[in-house]
Amino acid sequence: MEDEFDDYQECFSQEGILLKEAPPSHETYIDSIGIIIIHESKKDGEDLKKFMLEWKPNDITIDSDVQYQEWAVVNTVQKRYRTLSGTIPDPHVKFRCLKINFDIIKSFKVQNKGRQLTFYDGSSEVLCSFLFQCGNCDVLVAALKTHLRIGTSKRDRQLYVIYDSDSPEYQQLNKSFAALNIKHDHSLWDFVKNIKDNSYEGSLGAFAKVTNIVFSSLDGTRYPDEITKDDLNNSITELGDEIVHSMAPSLEDGVSSAFQLPPRKEFVRCNPLTEEQWDSQLNSSGQLEDVDDIKMSIFKGGVHPSIRKEVWKFLLDYYPWSSTHSERQALVKVKRDEYYRMKLQWKSFSKQQENNFLDYAQRKSLVEKDVARTDRTLEFYAGDNNINLQTLKDILMTYVMYNFDLGYVQGMSDLLSPILWLMLDECDAFWCFVGFMDKVMSNFEIDQAGMKEQLTNLHVLLNFVDPKLANYLVEHECGNMFFCFRWLLVWFKRELSQEDVMRFWEVLWTGYPCQNFHLLVSVAILEHERNALMEEERGFTEILKYINELSGKLDISLMICKAEGIFHQINDSDYLSDSVRPILGLPVIGTNNLDSHEQSPFESPDISSTGTQPCCSVENVRISPDEIAYEDSIGSNFL
Amino acid sequence: MRSASKNTLLKVVILGDGGVGKSCLMNRFVSNQFDEHSFHTIGVEFLNKDIEIDGETYTLQIWDTAGQERFKSLRTPFYRGSDICILTYAIDDKTSFNNLEMWRTEFSYYADVKENNQIPFIVVGNKSDVIAEEREVSQLEMETWCNENGITSCIETSAKNASNVQEAFKMAVQHWLRLESRADKNETDINDTVDLTKKSGDNRMSCCVGSSDD
Repeated sequence: MEDEFDDYQECFSQEGILLKEAPPSHETYIDSIGIIIIHESKKDGEDLKKFMLEWKPNDITIDSDVQYQEWAVVNTVQKRYRTLSGTIPDPHVKFRCLKINFDIIKSFKVQNKGRQLTFYDGSSEVLCSFLFQCGNCDVLVAALKTHLRIGTSKRDRQLYVIYDSDSPEYQQLNKSFAALNIKHDHSLWDFVKNIKDNSYEGSLGAFAKVTNIVFSSLDGTRYPDEITKDDLNNSITELGDEIVHSMAPSLEDGVSSAFQLPPRKEFVRCNPLTEEQWDSQLNSSGQLEDVDDIKMSIFKGGVHPSIRKEVWKFLLDYYPWSSTHSERQALVKVKRDEYYRMKLQWKSFSKQQENNFLDYAQRKSLVEKDVARTDRTLEFYAGDNNINLQTLKDILMTYVMYNFDLGYVQGMSDLLSPILWLMLDECDAFWCFVGFMDKVMSNFEIDQAGMKEQLTNLHVLLNFVDPKLANYLVEHECGNMFFCFRWLLVWFKRELSQEDVMRFWEVLWTGYPCQNFHLLVSVAILEHERNALMEEERGFTEILKYINELSGKLDISLMICKAEGIFHQINDSDYLSDSVRPILGLPVIGTNNLDSHEQSPFESPDISSTGTQPCCSVENVRISPDEIAYEDSIGSNFL
Repeated sequence: MRSASKNTLLKVVILGDGGVGKSCLMNRFVSNQFDEHSFHTIGVEFLNKDIEIDGETYTLQIWDTAGQERFKSLRTPFYRGSDICILTYAIDDKTSFNNLEMWRTEFSYYADVKENNQIPFIVVGNKSDVIAEEREVSQLEMETWCNENGITSCIETSAKNASNVQEAFKMAVQHWLRLESRADKNETDINDTVDLTKKSGDNRMSCCVGSSDD
């Protein structure tokens, strides 16, 4: 199929599409977001053009061209790079696009109010299924209809059948289309393109025009069979009539209102977990009685500074939650030995060894440079020859020995600094830091895939909560969410005061109320700043500057409350939240919809003589501005 | 900002290894401040600053990125559309000097500059305030490297004591102006032999400047 693919050219694409079901070869991409492309064969003169469906994952939030260029350039200059970052070509790069020839696809089904599209092979087997993150599949279905001969199943109005070129149905259809003289009429396709290219108003105008064209084609023409009529009715209903009518209100506010979130509940912060509360949870052997209760209390109010030092060791998985007092004593002894053994490994390097060990020397140089630039305004780390800076360096260097492949990455010193400040003990701080790193490891990995995924997920969440803002960002070349990079890399360390960041981190470490809660906090902040972000047609540079300058100005307690409210909105929302629930580690609700098997239209003996169906049977046809703008979406250039 | 004034807006990218003083150069130039204990940059930051040259005001939009190799893929998209690239090293850090070649290659690749246009690079050796014993890169080495790589502008600076910082940015703009005027001429007088003579004259004009306190 790869070679064949060279003869194809793109004729349609839509972004923001999550792969929901896939053949085993592409299972690893399930729940990834990507782009759907329809290709047509380039060969002219052929009566029948062939079409191919492709789904390609977004592997990055930045321009995909740049990304591919990067692989290319890296391969040619590999020797120059001492560290491994970015120099490993992704072995999946060639094989990850899901490509299916339309010869194989026999039917497709529109579900969840146009937000899900499933392709079948004609024997009730699902070939692949997609969730439309922004908007719905109407434009795609319309495009398919212009290229392929498609009829609707009699039994299920949402199930579309693709006719083979040699099937009697197709032959009949072909004749009927010829009779209608619109076979080579590009108006349908042109106006579908209009949706992509033109303004909202322009597109509406185009809809109106096409509706007229199709209607006038129908005028005075007797259609030879019912399928044709059915098919045309669908086209008209979906692409003209209903859109013009149903889009008018959403045009005014400019927001897709395909679904409504439940009302947001107000939450308040509680008092921090006190020493008394903590002690009351410890039994006679020093075991915590109700860990969930403790975690919930910490989520609701944080930890009182008087017991923070002890509680963080649990939150950061240094002490097991179920451990007894004596087990912890024994653990500390073992961990202390282990730490100093690792520290001795690098401390005992001779100068000559270091010179012969470039990878180590480079890591050491990075650590030394950054330690000197970490929280130096805090009294604890201030001044020349500060002993605490030395400890900071020793811990980071020992971590390099502990996890040499990861090494030292900028941002790590930010994460360690408050921990050491609190622990005042090198060994405890090290193991707590290890626990923190285990939680955020993917932020620092060589290919930066973790950061890219987080930025993408942030946009998905924002789009769910505030589609207008999400759409604005896409339209203003900010759909990649890069301006939030610093927030996510070091969990707002650079944005908050020392006390605030410690409170924030301990809240996040509880894992309540869901995973990736920091993304919801980010959504809350963006929503809070939405007017400022959208004023004066701010573009990427202005938004980046604005977000960078929020440092030191965030009311993090308020944002946690708002984020908690957003969490409950998503959690209480219906199946439409299925695209965002996996990001938060929540179970998907609408799985039943995915399991429903295709009702094979071929079983029906009277498929070609179906009666007239009411035009309004196609539900919820909407083309929102989101999906139009999403064309230029996340993949757009920064500048 | 772009819309607020009629000044020519130039996008300037400062590149170089971590810890050579990219942010400090930017902050010294923009706000005439130096914070010895400032943070290392995470992500991307930028500041605007007007500069006047020969009676014309230019607005420099100065982009400062994280230097660690790891963040390459999140840094390189910002190179696109750059007018000027300041390649930076620290004179007390030989490795950072040796890596100039890598930075130049990376920038050239991602900046998407039109083939015929020469990219306006200038080389800045920062931390000229360090004591002589700590210097690892001589001015001659810098000039030699620049000559070998066809870079005509280089300067030693100190963001700490403000030496040559204004001059470095001024030099960058002047360099850009020379390339611009050359590009304009090329557009209007293609195949003009006189123009070619003029070009080679320009190339010979080096403006490498040493640190004032050397």
